[in-house]
Amino acid sequence: MNCLYQTKRISKLKEKMLSSKRYASIEQARIITRVYQENEELSIPKKRALSLKAALEKLEISVEDEELIVGNRTKGVRYGVVFPESGCSWINQEFETLPTRPQDQFLVKEEDIKEFREKIYPYWKGKSLEDAIKGTYGKEINEISKVVKINQKDHAQGHICPDSALWLKLGPQGLMEKAKEKLKNCKDEQKEFYECTILVLEGAVHFMQRYHDLIEREKIESLKEVGKICTNLSKRPPETFHEAVQSLWFLFVILHMESNASSFSPGRMDQYLYPYYQRDIEKGSLTKQEALEILECLWLKFNQVVYLRNQNSAKYFAGFPIGFNIAIGGVDEKGNDTYNDLSLLCLKAQEHLGLPQPNLSVRLNKNSSHELMQAAIKVVSLGSGMPQFFNDEAIIQPMIEDLGIEEKDARNYAIVGCVELTTHGNNLGWSDAAMFNLNKVLELTLNHGKCLLTKQQIGLDLGSLETYQTYQDLENAFQKQIDYFIDKMMATEKIVEKAHQDYLPTAFLSTVIDDCLEKGLDVTKGGAKYNLSGIQMIQVANLADSLAAIKQLVYDDKMISQHDLLNALQEDFKGYEIMQTMLLNKVPKYGNDVKWVDELGNQWACYFREKMKRYTNYRGGPYHTGMYTVSAHVPMGENVGASPDGRNALKPLADGGMSPVYGRDLQGPTAVLKSVSKLNNSCTTNGGLLNMKFLPEFFKTETGCLKFENFLRAFVDLKVPHIQFNVVRKEDLLDAKVHPENHQSLTIRVAGYTAYFVELAGKLQDEIIERTTYENI
Amino acid sequence: MKLLKEQLMKISKALVFDIKRFAIHDGSGLRTTVFFKGCPLRCLWCQNPEGLNTQRQVIYFKNKCIHCRCCQQFKEQINYQNDRPYFQNHQDFDQVIKTCPSGAIQYDSQEYTLDKLMNKIKEDEVFFQHGGGVTFSGGEPFMQGEFLIEILKRCQKEKIHTAIETSFYTSLELIKKALPYLDLVYIDLKIFDEQKHQACTNVSPQLIKENIRYVLQSEYKDKVIIRTPLIPTMSATDENIHQIVKFLIQINPEVKYEMLNYNSLASAKYELVNLKYRLESYQTFTKQQMQHFYDVALQAGIKNLIKE
Repeated sequence: MNCLYQTKRISKLKEKMLSSKRYASIEQARIITRVYQENEELSIPKKRALSLKAALEKLEISVEDEELIVGNRTKGVRYGVVFPESGCSWINQEFETLPTRPQDQFLVKEEDIKEFREKIYPYWKGKSLEDAIKGTYGKEINEISKVVKINQKDHAQGHICPDSALWLKLGPQGLMEKAKEKLKNCKDEQKEFYECTILVLEGAVHFMQRYHDLIEREKIESLKEVGKICTNLSKRPPETFHEAVQSLWFLFVILHMESNASSFSPGRMDQYLYPYYQRDIEKGSLTKQEALEILECLWLKFNQVVYLRNQNSAKYFAGFPIGFNIAIGGVDEKGNDTYNDLSLLCLKAQEHLGLPQPNLSVRLNKNSSHELMQAAIKVVSLGSGMPQFFNDEAIIQPMIEDLGIEEKDARNYAIVGCVELTTHGNNLGWSDAAMFNLNKVLELTLNHGKCLLTKQQIGLDLGSLETYQTYQDLENAFQKQIDYFIDKMMATEKIVEKAHQDYLPTAFLSTVIDDCLEKGLDVTKGGAKYNLSGIQMIQVANLADSLAAIKQLVYDDKMISQHDLLNALQEDFKGYEIMQTMLLNKVPKYGNDVKWVDELGNQWACYFREKMKRYTNYRGGPYHTGMYTVSAHVPMGENVGASPDGRNALKPLADGGMSPVYGRDLQGPTAVLKSVSKLNNSCTTNGGLLNMKFLPEFFKTETGCLKFENFLRAFVDLKVPHIQFNVVRKEDLLDAKVHPENHQSLTIRVAGYTAYFVELAGKLQDEIIERTTYENI
Repeated sequence: MKLLKEQLMKISKALVFDIKRFAIHDGSGLRTTVFFKGCPLRCLWCQNPEGLNTQRQVIYFKNKCIHCRCCQQFKEQINYQNDRPYFQNHQDFDQVIKTCPSGAIQYDSQEYTLDKLMNKIKEDEVFFQHGGGVTFSGGEPFMQGEFLIEILKRCQKEKIHTAIETSFYTSLELIKKALPYLDLVYIDLKIFDEQKHQACTNVSPQLIKENIRYVLQSEYKDKVIIRTPLIPTMSATDENIHQIVKFLIQINPEVKYEMLNYNSLASAKYELVNLKYRLESYQTFTKQQMQHFYDVALQAGIKNLIKE
């Protein structure tokens, strides 16, 4: 693997891609609107299918000289697609600000805004998913929005891992035959579903052929071979590795065209592509270097689809996390560890390109190979934060026990989006259905149900920190307040899921999610084998720290009075700076391997998880929970007033989801892992997220990389579901010097000992910064 | 009777000034390093000045202090100069420390019973299972030798890999008792010359050399690594390295030997304990300079040289 290199073709394509401008595009919106207008009498599923077919047949397409994988959902790369079926009102309001908004900017064309306002928006008013949800339940959603963020209100559901192996095996033609066969003998209510799938699959075939025709028409010599592949794929399933990769990319382009959603993820690519790779290698028609180049072309493609979110949502999911998540390694259906050349080639591609997509994940278990781990560690050391690691030992068992998933499906789990867990190809997981801010609920519990920021009454008045006689009283009230908001959240969830069934049926997706074709049922209606819904808990770290501070300093040791702490919170610690310092320093924090504090976090996570078991989602499946926030810890923090853990009002909550509050983990990474391992894995069946920072120096020597492997193996033993690493750069150290309060736990090797960077004298910090720059330790 | 009680105390409790989890430079794998307080040497370059004194002391973290003056109520115990508190030592500071909201005032060390220390070590047991273990360092761990031997026995019983970092300036009797329970022994031989050693460390190297001679001839010789910290103008001279190597290989030609590059960053901790760093500032040795020292050692006849 070491002699493999990045070809000139790849560097050229990468450069070209990164220099292209990002626009908001209304082309598909125009097509969809026209189809809807021309077919007013038809049902929504039919209109949806016809408009996808029309887009596949009519959207302007382009190819790039020398690329080995072709296809995109817009003519230009990284365009944000305006998608009227899911939501139009927010675009209408925010169109002009897209180029200047703080996060995820897009350029816009004046004539597009005009056309949108005059021809597209007026038609969709009151007809989109967004408007439907707002119309029926907008008020209720708004009332709980400080505590619960309901997602998927203005876009289709993503976070899905399609059955790519099935797609590769049958191709659109094979799937179409299956649908036609079913249509012959189906029940009346299934008829429309099969008709729709046939329509979109016809579009898919046409779409592939169009790329061949374009290449022929424009006589692009370098793409001749690719053109041939496209026409082959329009007629039959792939036979070679190159064909398989191209076919896979078409699948993902079409899924994005249908749903314009975040995160359709390829999953265990190293497994299902391997037969094609192996056959070509054995025949001698493919070399490792050629396979790598094809993969790297696919990697570039993964970076060409971005997702246009509204301004608020862009804050919660900053930086276009579209989530082409690929999971390599892990156990097979029989439970044996498995990895192959392709797993290593995926790592190689990431090593070469270092781009944000795909989101590369490595599945680890007790028997993970030294070779795969060291290859992964090498990529980690480069600092792109990838790959991230998932733990089979922590994930598989709870899937079986808590969610009733079959053993072979649980062993075959994949990751969608960031860290969301799913079974492979047979699941509508409805991840991130909502984010539930436990810290806001605690705030309301402490303050008569009133928001500390606005003084508005938004929760139940069960008393206040001043009136709860014992810590137990406080916990009882907290529990009631949680229950209150869970009930409200669940009522809302039903409305949202129903709206998706009514407004956004997805025929194409349904052809690649197992059991939909069998059942003759759209995936939004429950056609998938598994129908889960995931709620995120925000954030257990702050909650544990706050409860620990109240318990110890107020109720147990009585160092702070109930009255004073409540006042301090109401005043955002103004005039209470000494108390704030005490709250921060005089009580242990989550992440330091202090059992009773960690247990406080776990206790409420488990309470929340258990409570979820009482609810069934609109598709008839179970609810479960996760602990990950993407970038939501910042806006979620903006909703929360001063908290008893010493955090000021509006400040971010802990990052990650399982991570300690940054700067409060003072016992090093082993203690963090120990603390996190106390969280029950039943609470993270929808995914957990643990962030850690390391200095690049750690990886400089072979010994360092081996010790890192030791660390990862202990992570597996401790059954922590997820971990990812930030390899800290010079900029972080510079910032730590200016803002030491934000970097309390950043440790650095000084001499025969490791010290906290911020506790070192200024000059010494300078010297360390210098030596980090020169990287000569 | 009184003596016996004191001895018992010695065995049952130790003063520890730091416990670092995730120690990666003090032996194989991921380790927990326990720093025992108290050292008979006074090396000019000492990296852990808070480990020298055998008494528990109060220290002040300037960077943590918020200048709230909460500690001013304890006037008898604290003086202030330039906005910095100075402590009348050998007093009970429990109340002061409890009152300080930021944790800027702390004891420099903690007492550990065998059980408490063992529990602390075992916190990272899962990490030791992949090649790690516990390292006893200091200060000089043999200063609290009876306790050390007891904790080593416990570790062996729990199948935890054990290492020690020692100056070997201690009684042979203690060494003999400890060796059966150690898996890895790092011994410093800093300066060969009698007078220079005395001048730089405040003790004669004679006892150290005798102890090294013993261990390198004993059945435990394979567990030993002799180390020399390279301090410019003091230990980092061709002559010193030549002498040390000659001395070592004469006892045991298979001896493992390592030279540790000078680290210029030690002065940071001195302010904490209100001591002055007495060494000039020197640069770390470059790769070429290190290679030169390796060459000197090789020419002197060392076979098992451990390089960085």
